[in-house]
Amino acid sequence: MTNLTPSEILLALVLILPLVSAGVSFIIPERYSWATSLTAPLLLLVTAILSFVLFFTSEDLQVSAVWFSIGATEIPFSLLLDAASRLMIVVVSTVSFLVHLYSMGYMGYDQKITRYFGMLGLFTFSMLGIVLANQLILTFVFWELMGFSSYMLIGHWMEKPAAARAAQKAFLFNRIGDAFMLIGILITWIQQTSGNDPFWQTTGVICIFLGVVGKSAQLPLSFWLPDAMEGPTPVSALLHAATMVAAGVFLLIRINPLLTEPALTVIAITGIATALFGAVCALNQFDIKKILAYSTVSQLGLMITAIGLGAKDAALLHLFTHAFFKAGLFLAAGSIIHALSHQPNNTLDVQDIRNLGGLRKKLPVTFMVFCVTGASLAGVPLLSGFLSKDSILTAAWNLSHPTTQFLFTALILIVSFLTVLYTFRMIRFVFLGNESQATLHESPWVMRIPMILCAVASSWLLVSLNPLHISGWFIHSFPGAEASAIASIISAVTVLIALIAAVLLYSKQTSPKTIVMLQNGFGVDSFYQRTIGSAVLYFASAAEATDKKVLDGFLHFIVYAHVSIAHGIAWFDQYIIDGVVDTSARLVKWAGSFTRSFQGGKIQLYIFWAVAGLIIFLFFVLI
Amino acid sequence: MQNLLSYLIFTPFAAALIGLLIPAEAKKTFRIATLIVSAIQFIILIAIIGNTTPQLGSFQLMEKYNWFSIDLGNWGILKAEYFLGIDGLGFSMIALSVLVMLIASISSWTIDKNVKGYFILLWILNGAIIGTFCALDFLLFYLFFEFMLLPMYFLIGIWGGPRREYASIKFLLYTLLGSILILIVLIALVISVQAPESGDTVVHTFNLLHMSDSANFIFGSILSPDDAWLIGSHTARWWAFLLLFVGFVIKLPAVPLHTWLPDAHVEAPTPISVILAALLLKVGAYGLLRIAYPIFPDAAVELSSVVAFIGVLSIIYAALNALAAKDLKRLIAYSSVSHMGFVLLGLASLTVEGVAGAVYQMFSHGLISAMLFLIAGVLYDRTHDRLINNYSGLASRMPMFFVFVLIAFFASLGLPGFSGFIAELMVLLGALASGSTNELISEGFAFAAAFGLILGAAYYLWTLQRMFFGPFHVKNEIRTELLTDLDKREFGMLISLALVILIFGIFPHVLLDYINPFAQNFADTITESIRLIQNP
Repeated sequence: MTNLTPSEILLALVLILPLVSAGVSFIIPERYSWATSLTAPLLLLVTAILSFVLFFTSEDLQVSAVWFSIGATEIPFSLLLDAASRLMIVVVSTVSFLVHLYSMGYMGYDQKITRYFGMLGLFTFSMLGIVLANQLILTFVFWELMGFSSYMLIGHWMEKPAAARAAQKAFLFNRIGDAFMLIGILITWIQQTSGNDPFWQTTGVICIFLGVVGKSAQLPLSFWLPDAMEGPTPVSALLHAATMVAAGVFLLIRINPLLTEPALTVIAITGIATALFGAVCALNQFDIKKILAYSTVSQLGLMITAIGLGAKDAALLHLFTHAFFKAGLFLAAGSIIHALSHQPNNTLDVQDIRNLGGLRKKLPVTFMVFCVTGASLAGVPLLSGFLSKDSILTAAWNLSHPTTQFLFTALILIVSFLTVLYTFRMIRFVFLGNESQATLHESPWVMRIPMILCAVASSWLLVSLNPLHISGWFIHSFPGAEASAIASIISAVTVLIALIAAVLLYSKQTSPKTIVMLQNGFGVDSFYQRTIGSAVLYFASAAEATDKKVLDGFLHFIVYAHVSIAHGIAWFDQYIIDGVVDTSARLVKWAGSFTRSFQGGKIQLYIFWAVAGLIIFLFFVLI
Repeated sequence: MQNLLSYLIFTPFAAALIGLLIPAEAKKTFRIATLIVSAIQFIILIAIIGNTTPQLGSFQLMEKYNWFSIDLGNWGILKAEYFLGIDGLGFSMIALSVLVMLIASISSWTIDKNVKGYFILLWILNGAIIGTFCALDFLLFYLFFEFMLLPMYFLIGIWGGPRREYASIKFLLYTLLGSILILIVLIALVISVQAPESGDTVVHTFNLLHMSDSANFIFGSILSPDDAWLIGSHTARWWAFLLLFVGFVIKLPAVPLHTWLPDAHVEAPTPISVILAALLLKVGAYGLLRIAYPIFPDAAVELSSVVAFIGVLSIIYAALNALAAKDLKRLIAYSSVSHMGFVLLGLASLTVEGVAGAVYQMFSHGLISAMLFLIAGVLYDRTHDRLINNYSGLASRMPMFFVFVLIAFFASLGLPGFSGFIAELMVLLGALASGSTNELISEGFAFAAAFGLILGAAYYLWTLQRMFFGPFHVKNEIRTELLTDLDKREFGMLISLALVILIFGIFPHVLLDYINPFAQNFADTITESIRLIQNP
């Protein structure tokens, strides 16, 4: 490792610095815990700057070494910096830095600030690892580490039972996917080295996709994500924007060449189903963070759909734009929560949009940020979301088969229609309407700056010079992402119609409405608990009973049988064998004493017996 | 350096002898002495590392002396040797033993009842375990193997918890059953095998290396591979493998022969639990790798699906039991059974990856289970209560303890970065590769094992949620002031284990350098002997 090029050193630094930040937070003693809220954001700032430097200067880069080998199989430690990962490290480190900065304000008074920043560092490290890893086993390593750090972050307020439950649920749902993902990775590995069996190739890829389903909260493993809102809001921003859920989409982009035809079909169907499901659920939530969570589920579904349709660049583009506008939305939501929960005598649930309203005057910056990022989410022209959604729509529009073309285009349009509705609903009930709160203060600067930056990054300029069409700009990472003019027009018209519909629908309502079943995600979550959850517990107690009753019971039976037989033998010994011996001994003794009685030592007796014997003798002889 | 292995084995035996002379009141002397024993063993271990070349697949540090040789007239000569040697497998196991014994010694400082007896038994156990891992003569192996039994019986039966009599008798009965099965095969083997050097008079030998070579079987003998005796519909070799398998699997343990383990663990004092889980279970797996598989490769191949099935059954069944466990120590005991299932699965695949993974899992589980039982001990030492539901929110009360619980639990559930992940990765890779290379076991087993990974996460996280998260609260009988954070001794033990687990998780090649040649050799030899047996 002597001849490292500057780019390689930069790459190593970008990967390692967040881990250093985690280590520093772990080492700093509790008394100086305030220090972490300086060191961690600083280190992340350096990481972000370095990743920008890499982005603008570095060529494609590959670093490889043997991690370990099993027999003849070598497991490499291999990092790859290409167009996609160059872009992603910028997004990840930037959003992570913004979240760190924001956390200085939001989490300022938290008791466990060192653990918080430590886990945030580990989390960022794992995400960067996933982005850079050029080998699936290595990806899995970072993938799992991210699962762990997200567990700790979601469960940060672990004294709250709901937070503890949410963390556990997140990890378990992820783990279900990950267990199969590991199998899938290994199958793919084996297929690449020794086999060439289409069945196993597809099985492998679908197993990997199951891991993606878990991490990117696709159906049927979506339900951890809304619960994960129990974590601190900056964490939600990080989890939902550039990292964690994005990891799955990014992994699919990475393994794109491996995806077989049947696997793509599975992916596309899962994606579009999730997109619709998320949008419908988002429309029926009261909790502002849960609306955003389901919106994330829906948007991820769109990205997955794009991958299933073979448009990985469109997926990457949407991942990129989504990272910033969704981070902005969450940070703005956090700003609302922060402002309201620092108010004295507040007993209401400050995340419930039924308790909010008219905040536009009190929190003007938050309002502006929320509007801009929300509009970008809704796909309003001139904003980045419009461009990226267009490219996904184009991918569907360009499908060759007419039925699938119509189906996917229509479904994507329905999703974007619903997106406009729920975004408007949120803005309407949080910021517009009657003022219900007393004096409020806008969040401190450390929180406002990241929000504003996210809003700025939601403009079209981030991805394209032309506000209505992807025409390329300083980013050359999306060669395949294109948007046809027809798709753009259809998309813009849909957004317009949806906006009118939303205004008509929600401006009259005084309070938001919902359908209860949809509020609970179609009731699937509780269905899981009632079926799978109880089944596992049932099997667990059945296994316990088998152990205690059957296996140990059998053992005890054998032991008791042995002991009983032993007792039987002892009885036999005592009464039969000993009995026989004793009886014969007694018999002999009796005979002895009987015959002894003849020998009393008296002459008369001898004569008597002699005569008696003679008589008996004569008796026998004569008769 | 001559006789390093003997020094390693006889240091604790010598200590036990000397210990007899020390008065029983000198508790402190015994505590220091046990540290000295471990320190000496540690130094010897370093010397062993210095004197072995890991890349060599063959046995190293061999010591071979005639033990006895009896002329039995027509039947020939019966010859037993004091024969020691280690390869990658043996090295991994003695390294693990020395490490775990050191930890167990420190953990034994809290023992206050009949200290003299305790430490003497501990030393005997120590020597016997290491002896088992070094012996290359079946009789010597069997001797050490049986020698472990008695100290363990007393250590559980005298220093154990409330139901110690029940647990120790159960342990003894199960292990004796296993021993008898092994003894039967031992006798059959010594009848069937002759040393290659025998001329006109047949020399019957206990030498394991001779037994592993199919050329040394006497033609027409009961276990001869060429002219197999049939017992029922199977060859005598098949039955012999089965007996050995059952005998060793009791020790492993695998479902359905595992029920002695949870009871023994729950009743055993902490250091004994540590030794039991970390080392004694490995003896079972070691026996399979050293004896059952190399001697009867044909039967092993025939039964590989059965072995894999029992492995996967153990993984899932024990994980379900762990999920239902109410006692923290019982949970950890069942997780041990579940993890040892991976050893069987890897072994059944008979691929290099699977076998290396099995050995790595033995090593890694030794470290992780030691840590887990120390954790259970920390809690039990303070409150004498291990029921999961009696605690809540311990994370805020004992933050440092919580960190180690997190490390141990996540290491055990296979988080990358810790050694357990590497082992499970290799085992699964081996199990999957088997389908496309030697076609011994189906890919379905690997899929089933994946459910074990999910259940593993479930029982650990559920325990975390119940005991450590939430608001702080304990059952009325427990006095809260007893729940203090770790003291220095506990911290020292836990941090050293955590670091070792981390090192072997991040730099697996440190150990794989030793294991790889062994696994390669193992897989090759078995393939080769099958070929020889099939076309002599």
